[in-house]
Amino acid sequence: MLQLKGRVNSSNVMKALWVLDEIGLEYDREDVGGQFGKNTETPYLALNPNGRIPTIVDGDLVLWESNSIVRYLASKHSMGKLCPSDPGARARCEMWMDWQLTELVQNMVPVFHGLIRKSAEERNTREIGAARDSWSQKWAILNKHLKRNEYVGGANFTMADIPIGPIAYRWYELPIEREEYPDLYRWYKKLCDRSGFKKHIMTGLS
Amino acid sequence: MLKILGRSSSSNVQKVVWLCGELEIPFERIDIGGPFGGNDQPEYLSLNPNGVVPTIDDEGFILWESNSIVRYLAEKHARGTEYWPDDIQKRASAHRWMDWALSILAPRHVPVFQGLIRTPEGDRDMGRISASRDLWAQANKVMDGWLAKNEYLSGENFGIGDIPASPFTYRWFNLPIDREDFPHLKRWHQEICERPEFQKHVIEIGLQ
Repeated sequence: MLQLKGRVNSSNVMKALWVLDEIGLEYDREDVGGQFGKNTETPYLALNPNGRIPTIVDGDLVLWESNSIVRYLASKHSMGKLCPSDPGARARCEMWMDWQLTELVQNMVPVFHGLIRKSAEERNTREIGAARDSWSQKWAILNKHLKRNEYVGGANFTMADIPIGPIAYRWYELPIEREEYPDLYRWYKKLCDRSGFKKHIMTGLS
Repeated sequence: MLKILGRSSSSNVQKVVWLCGELEIPFERIDIGGPFGGNDQPEYLSLNPNGVVPTIDDEGFILWESNSIVRYLAEKHARGTEYWPDDIQKRASAHRWMDWALSILAPRHVPVFQGLIRTPEGDRDMGRISASRDLWAQANKVMDGWLAKNEYLSGENFGIGDIPASPFTYRWFNLPIDREDFPHLKRWHQEICERPEFQKHVIEIGLQ
């Protein structure tokens, strides 16, 4: 059976949990990282030398990098659905998955860590404010895209929605100022109707 | 013909033109970004709302994010080869290094490269440059460990998994910085440097 290693409150582990849920694949999960530790110990580092989570073990393949895990599982188990069969449509999905890594998440990190994982005394409110502003500009880009597209990947729910979903949950749940992005919100509410999103992402902020 | 929009000194543009060279895909490249500007103009932003390079126009099909462009072109032009193996697990294993170059390698290298090459000496934040160099070295150690057991990041053969990390490694070995001894990384990098298309699109451009 497929093994997934990583604590459930990591947005990167959430991507893997959610795609597994959408596919309906069974798996064993082990808590690693954060308060559970193990990620800096030799047995885990032998699987993932970065000491980060998640990692999956699927037969002979040991795979890390959460977006690669999503792409792999979607193309293996959900070709034509979560992973579009048309190469152009698939490339457009992958483009937004990369965008989550290069543009969207960088600005989330100081806001989320600053407000949720740091104490009030450790907080740098100026840094948080500046990152929030940059983060919001990225959502403006996605909002515009979603004006013409039902989902990130086009007309249907695909793997492109998965990396961005947990970041959107944080945007809407953190105690921060939020500009009005009607198409982003419409898309987000549709994610909130999905059972896998409810179960693995809408679990509070920690 | 395939159009690639972006200046040749961008490591992200270099990934795409290098792959086109390897696969002998004809292309026309148009200078955008950096000293050439244009990336903040409505015409470009209508293609790529992020205002960064590269963007491709493949007979009307628009795509940005350099790693996605590399995967798209490899699948279109080289299916069944080492650039796009039929084995889905081999592909996933190679592609993880492309994501890793985005998530780990690029952000650690940026303050060092921008600081030393694109910032006037008097404006450099040497503390930040030094701290980023240390983190960058840790990332290189991860590659070195993999390359001790694998010929390439992509596996047994050169493939697209090697492409995103290589321009950064070129910078690592050519910037005026301290360098730990990473013998496997060095061996791999020397093999990459022997590729004529890497020489043409990365080495000849140099650090700028």
